[in-house]
Amino acid sequence: MNPLEIDNVSFSYSAAPFIKNLSLSFGNGEFACIMGPNASGKSTLLKISAGMIKPLSGKVMLWDMDIHHYKGKDRAKLISYLPQMLDLGMQLKAVDIVKMGFYPYDIPPELDSDKALEMVGLSDKKDAYINHLSGGEVRRVFIAMILIQGAGIVLLDEPLANLDIKYQIEIIRLLKEIVKNRGITVLMAIHDLNLAFQFDRAILIKEGEIVGDDKPENVLNEDNLQRVFDIDVKVLSYNSGKMSIRYG
Amino acid sequence: MKLRIILIILVSSVLCLSSLYIGPKMINPLNMSGLDRDILFSIRLPRMLTAMLIGIALGASGAILQGILRNPLADPYILGISGGASLMAVTGIVFGIGYSGFLSVPLLAFTGAIITGVIVGLISYKRGSFWHGRLLLAGIGIGFLFSALVMLILGISTHEGLKRAMLWMFGELSMSDWDNIPYGLFFIVIGLSIALTRVKALNALMLGDELAWNLGFNPSRERLILFISVCLMVAASVSLGGTIGFVGLLMPHIVRMTAGSDNTFLVPLSSLAGGALLCLADLIGRTLFSPLELPAGIITALLGAPYFLYLLRKKDIIGG
Amino acid sequence: MKRFCLVLVFCIILSGAAHAKPPERIISLAPNLTEILFALGLGDKIVGVTAFCDYPLEAKKKRNIGGMSNPSFETVLTHMPDIVILTEDGNQKAFEERLRKKGIRTYVFKARRMSELPQEISNMGKVLGVEQSAASLSRSISNSMENIQGRKISSHSNKTLFIIWPEPLLVAGPETAIDDSMLLLGFRNIASDAKTRYPQYSMEEVIRKNPDIIFIGKGHEDMKAISHKLLSRLHMVNAVKNGRVYFISDNLYRLGPRVIDGIKELSGYIK
Repeated sequence: MNPLEIDNVSFSYSAAPFIKNLSLSFGNGEFACIMGPNASGKSTLLKISAGMIKPLSGKVMLWDMDIHHYKGKDRAKLISYLPQMLDLGMQLKAVDIVKMGFYPYDIPPELDSDKALEMVGLSDKKDAYINHLSGGEVRRVFIAMILIQGAGIVLLDEPLANLDIKYQIEIIRLLKEIVKNRGITVLMAIHDLNLAFQFDRAILIKEGEIVGDDKPENVLNEDNLQRVFDIDVKVLSYNSGKMSIRYG
Repeated sequence: MKLRIILIILVSSVLCLSSLYIGPKMINPLNMSGLDRDILFSIRLPRMLTAMLIGIALGASGAILQGILRNPLADPYILGISGGASLMAVTGIVFGIGYSGFLSVPLLAFTGAIITGVIVGLISYKRGSFWHGRLLLAGIGIGFLFSALVMLILGISTHEGLKRAMLWMFGELSMSDWDNIPYGLFFIVIGLSIALTRVKALNALMLGDELAWNLGFNPSRERLILFISVCLMVAASVSLGGTIGFVGLLMPHIVRMTAGSDNTFLVPLSSLAGGALLCLADLIGRTLFSPLELPAGIITALLGAPYFLYLLRKKDIIGG
Repeated sequence: MKRFCLVLVFCIILSGAAHAKPPERIISLAPNLTEILFALGLGDKIVGVTAFCDYPLEAKKKRNIGGMSNPSFETVLTHMPDIVILTEDGNQKAFEERLRKKGIRTYVFKARRMSELPQEISNMGKVLGVEQSAASLSRSISNSMENIQGRKISSHSNKTLFIIWPEPLLVAGPETAIDDSMLLLGFRNIASDAKTRYPQYSMEEVIRKNPDIIFIGKGHEDMKAISHKLLSRLHMVNAVKNGRVYFISDNLYRLGPRVIDGIKELSGYIK
């Protein structure tokens, strides 16, 4: 039994289908990324997977039960979702936000807010107001919240957008470590193709359909990238086994 | 932090209590004459309780609305509820239906407020979602419409009750007596209790709908519940003493600066502080030019408006 | 040159004559002025009154030109008045200036206190060409004020409150016809310490000052019904305890001919 099964879902915002009969399944301890051009359906797919949008047909099964049959709090203990836009109008302290991770629980789980902030390297920013933090720090605050929330499946919509490369790498390293230590599954939408090689699994999506879903080195070949992004690229492999993509 | 919370509670209680004994004439609680006792129980006590109830309702609903509308400048009257209350009350006063026993002016105002709340709610509720932007705009639209109607009625009327209607719109506590307190208490306690059980949802809503969803809340539903609690409290407060400006806008910010934005503390503390501010404003209003009385709403606005402008200047609050 | 002087003199005489000619079309911009006009027998000449002019009953049939503070300038013009009567106490000075600039004659009634009323009625009578009836009205007002002097309430229980409206508590303050009449008859107005003429008065102060007599003036509503709640809250006050709460007319609300009746009415409550 897989924790998350996306079974033949379709969705559209208008007459034209946006997600077409798409199926995916995720096991425990996966570190996966999803890529595709703008409006390819990445965000929508993540929202459907989180149960936030109801698909027009098909089902999202969370631990063998339709995600829409869960009570909000029960669902929140199993799956969490971090949106791309973190628009914060109100003055809140970092620690206030991190502690909201406890909300689905009546009896708080073992991880405390200080520990979570320490894990994301923000111990010293505990009492800082969120609107005084940098973009990378804000992301890390929310990742700390999700750590506390403690769900086995974590969906992140472009958490690296608009971040300095240093923070991008830092966040990926952090999540990778958590996947390793706690055996959770992470699925995140990313933009930078080169970062895909950091993941165990890469999903390529175009116009609501899956083009490739495998290890990144298998998915990110020149053919697929030409098909999905309409660009000419060179995929370079190094002796160390590392790979990179050269644009243009 | 704990110290600050205790400080707010302490200052508020002192303000409320002192408004009982300070006034045009001081009352010495240790040595009360019969007259003092009469005045204390039949005038000052119901008046202080009314001021506290109104302040509590406004302070709490201000904090809640600023959260659900995700707008630090939201005020309980932005939903147009007070407009509906004023319209009904002024209509009642001017056409003389407000005195025929059962249909008292407070009751009319309450009915108007609730009807308006339902209208605003219905306009905002569309295809299963209860969107905060629509809520705000619907409230503003209804508010404008109703205040225009109020002005229309006041403009064409020559009734002596006019002055009452005007005072009422500025907030009026001089008529507070024991009669209205039980039902005001009833609705405000219900509204506040609903809100206090939803403080976590309110915190989550401040992060946006998607994050609220992530934490297991249904944003539309939570917003609707909180909206209902605000409607009850604002309706009861408006019917107790008319519209009193700036308490709902001001107190949540003062409390936020001293005790943080966590609604678990913010909602109860800003309601308490709101009650205290109104007691203070009423104390000033009835003492400053005694025996002439100034409506408390004018005093709160005089204290509040400069602060409001200061907030506008200070970018931090808006999140910049 | 001689001829020119003659024309000039003629013109002056003519204009003087025109000025002397009593106005035929009068607009009144205040309810007390309307009452005075009717009392002076000028009712037929009134072509416009304010929305507040409801006494005598015929006044209600006259054309309505708007409120006291915001009359319609246009409506005033369309009725082509020979003169517009205004009061310092309630009409706007700017409105009067605007009328004069348009070439419309105006008369500004200056009395604010009862003692000024007889003289001001005579003055206005002269302008309106009803000198005699004005003189007799002013005389009867003076008389009613003077004749009362002998009859005064005893100073033991003369603390009085005159309520205009119970919710909120609006009372007659200093410098009003009510205050003047009460003073005349020996009633001591407990609200004469207020800073405005019709103040919203502190209930607490009423209880402290403990009036012996409470008058409640007539209003649009059934005042007994509206005042019930107020009086029950003032149960400890002497006037309420001793049953000396009197519902009376609105005669004293306006500085006009009805003050005669008003004074007489008040004097009826002297025990």
